[in-house]
Amino acid sequence: MPKIKKKRLGFKIDMTPMVDVAMLLLTFFMMTTQFRPDEATAIELPASHAPFKMPETDVMIVTVNREGRTFLGVDSQRLRAQLFGEGNKLKPAVEVDRKQLHDLLIQARISNPKLRTLVKGDKDAPFGPVEDILDILRQVNITRFNLVTEMDKS
Amino acid sequence: MAALDSGGESKSHARGGKKHKKKRRLSIRIDMTPMVDVAFLLLTFFMLTTYFSKPQTMELNLPKDQSPIEVAESNLMTLRVASDGAIFWNIGTEPAHRVEMKELRKFLEDKNKENPKLITLLKVDRDGKYSMMIKLMDEIAIAKVTRFSLAPMNEYDKRQIQKARAS
Repeated sequence: MPKIKKKRLGFKIDMTPMVDVAMLLLTFFMMTTQFRPDEATAIELPASHAPFKMPETDVMIVTVNREGRTFLGVDSQRLRAQLFGEGNKLKPAVEVDRKQLHDLLIQARISNPKLRTLVKGDKDAPFGPVEDILDILRQVNITRFNLVTEMDKS
Repeated sequence: MAALDSGGESKSHARGGKKHKKKRRLSIRIDMTPMVDVAFLLLTFFMLTTYFSKPQTMELNLPKDQSPIEVAESNLMTLRVASDGAIFWNIGTEPAHRVEMKELRKFLEDKNKENPKLITLLKVDRDGKYSMMIKLMDEIAIAKVTRFSLAPMNEYDKRQIQKARAS
């Protein structure tokens, strides 16, 4: 028995090229990876042909989820603590109502005038809340803002 | 160096181990299997978590105050979107007509060629979908219509839509 086994199994494969390629891929993915920023709610973005890339820093994001609930998020933790209180520092976004949104937008713009406003609505979100947000933006004099969409493949 | 030893030859390896060492110190075999395992694990992890398509954004500039701008009636095209996504258009105070999403791009281009001074007003029903607004604004951008504006939909607009549906 042992003799037969030995004959059959004694072979070697040189794994070097495969491992080399694997390591190469590994370094590539490690270098290029960008983790998905955490979100307060799951958002399915609508598609458009808009050419601009989404800015990553100095942004505040007004999110409308599919039920029409509104969330406000800013990217810096310091500002988050200032706006929403220490307890909410680690949350990516906090649910707000219209009145709060109005005041928070003003506060946020005072603490960081460079902030850019992004409106991120779910594909299936009703238009009503979005219209209210646009109205609030107009009230607080934010006339330039971006709507976040996904690249349209077609 | 990174050659992996398949199970069968470990015996011979163990047998020859001592002899080997005595002979020369040079050829050392390191079993790379665990390292490669970890490397593959990390590789799959990074491959699965990475994402390349960054979201795009659509830039919007709204006028600062609502000081009314007077527009000739014949230069104002109103696009109304009903709550079910149907699109209606009219120019000035003409009765509204329905237009399909597919034809919209061509339609907008034609209308703007006909009248270069045309201003488009977009009104979306509050019960409509947000994606409809994005789609329409996208079509407007593709048709290179730069003069357009958003307005809330009021009762009058709803009546217009109903009239257009009835006819």
